[in-house]
Amino acid sequence: MAAAVTIPSDRIRADLWRPLSGAGSWYVAAVVVTGLLVAWGLFAWGYQIHTGIGVVGKRRPVMWSFYITNFVFWIGISHAGTLISAILRLTHAGWRRPVTRAAEAITVFALMIGGLFPLIHLGRVGIFYYLIPYPNERMLWPNFRSPLVWDLTAIFTYITGSVIYLYLPLLPDLADLARHSTGPHRTIYRLLSLGWTGSDREWHALERAQKLMAGMILAVAVSVHTVVSWDFAMAVAPMWHSTIFGPYFVTGAIFSGIAALIVVMAIIRRGMHLEAYLEPVHFDNLAKLLLLMCLLWAYFTTAENLTVWYGNEPSEMVVFGERVRGTYAPLFWAMVILNFVVPFVLLGIRRLRTIHTAVISAVGVLVGMWLERFLIVVPTLARPRLPAAWGTYSPTWVEVSITVATFAAMALLYLIFSKLVPIIAVWEYKHVSDG
Amino acid sequence: MYLMAEFADKDSAAAAIEGLKTRGLTAGDLDVFSTEPVEFAPGVLDRPSRMSLVAVAGAATVGVGAVGFVYYTQHSYNLITGGMPTFSFWATGVVFYELAMLGAIAATFLWLLHEGGFLRRDRNAPVPVVEPGSICLRVRCDADLAETGTRLYEAGAVRVEKLK
Repeated sequence: MAAAVTIPSDRIRADLWRPLSGAGSWYVAAVVVTGLLVAWGLFAWGYQIHTGIGVVGKRRPVMWSFYITNFVFWIGISHAGTLISAILRLTHAGWRRPVTRAAEAITVFALMIGGLFPLIHLGRVGIFYYLIPYPNERMLWPNFRSPLVWDLTAIFTYITGSVIYLYLPLLPDLADLARHSTGPHRTIYRLLSLGWTGSDREWHALERAQKLMAGMILAVAVSVHTVVSWDFAMAVAPMWHSTIFGPYFVTGAIFSGIAALIVVMAIIRRGMHLEAYLEPVHFDNLAKLLLLMCLLWAYFTTAENLTVWYGNEPSEMVVFGERVRGTYAPLFWAMVILNFVVPFVLLGIRRLRTIHTAVISAVGVLVGMWLERFLIVVPTLARPRLPAAWGTYSPTWVEVSITVATFAAMALLYLIFSKLVPIIAVWEYKHVSDG
Repeated sequence: MYLMAEFADKDSAAAAIEGLKTRGLTAGDLDVFSTEPVEFAPGVLDRPSRMSLVAVAGAATVGVGAVGFVYYTQHSYNLITGGMPTFSFWATGVVFYELAMLGAIAATFLWLLHEGGFLRRDRNAPVPVVEPGSICLRVRCDADLAETGTRLYEAGAVRVEKLK
């Protein structure tokens, strides 16, 4: 943080507020492109609702496919923010301050997107509430013990906590923005700031709430991806029914979350000219975290696959064989290269660890982790225990369009967010500089 | 009646607070305003908090309420199960955990609004416009205004104003 101390207090605000006013040609182009992709995705979803779920590639026996892959992937990405921010806050890591808001915003947007996929997956989205067993006045007797009910409660708790966790440190900045804005902006910022005055009672309450929330959100974040893993592990299906799925999924989620954070930070740094605030040291620290998670991921992947191979249980070996030398082998080995080989080499060798290599590794990890989710979901369903029920899966343009649109939606939400509030908490950053 | 004193650093603000406390003013009469959090030494201007307790209470209330709701729903469904249990402790345990955490999070947020004074703000109390880097001390006092003002200047205030 040494460089941050040299930036005068007034300049910090000016620099961090600059992206809020005006929009360059690159910004407009990005909004238009991502907006069009999102519109295309919405059209595809509308087409699916209007025509029927048969327009997608999922067929018996592969009834969970791209949509559930995306669900697991985006819930994993959501671990970028709140979890990482909470860990760094609780450990008093000073370098976290320029990083946290960018990370927490990823969490909220990723949860919004991920939470949509169970609805898209249903087909008849208009009656999704039939799946909610409580209070069950429709007497449908859904499975009260289904892990899908756990998903609902876990994700609802996580998104509520994440929104509050993102909102709390925004209060001082929103009040400051209200003081320096005019017209409707002023009214909106003032309302959102809840009348923040900067009194010591408010600061004390905010600090306590942030500390408590950091602890709670950590517990919730771990539970959320554990619950998502139990959607699979509770089924007695080959290569799903595993006791390590909980920590394996949590590790993968943090791994992909850090990768998403590195990519977003690099784009913000370049796009908003925040080189003085998002310094090489921030990328270096995140790159080290990514390397650590890469090793943990490799450990879990090895443990998971080695025990299956050594156990040699026929139905599991069928799925294992499909993954490592069958239909899905190219995807499997691409996953290993992107999730382990590339980050291990680029980030493990100190001379090679730069902002560029961190971004390259992170992009690779994002692709690799999407493949991992796909490889968990699809091969097991395509090769059930009964060979007569075996099947294949290939996505249609509808699934591909919706998948691409969600990535565009993430970018679009971020572009909008970056125009509404400073992407780095001004008061937190100044607090570091003064301290 | 309020006095508003501006300080350039937190040490002089802390000295002023200590001085006012010896004159009988309490923490309830004093408010410090700043654009960034100001951390005084323990004992200068403590604000005791019950936020942790409230979070635990919120967790217990919502968690137990959720389990009760789930229990009621499962038992109120008139399905003939041949004596098999409809209520599952382990499956409901996850629901309990998640909703208990939700209760804790919601309680924390609501208590922040209460403890931070967002819900019970005194509309008549003046709020200073604080310049970045400076610290304002608002003192509620009905008597000895001149004496209090002198004490504030002695402690290092760069400006003292009388506000109604």
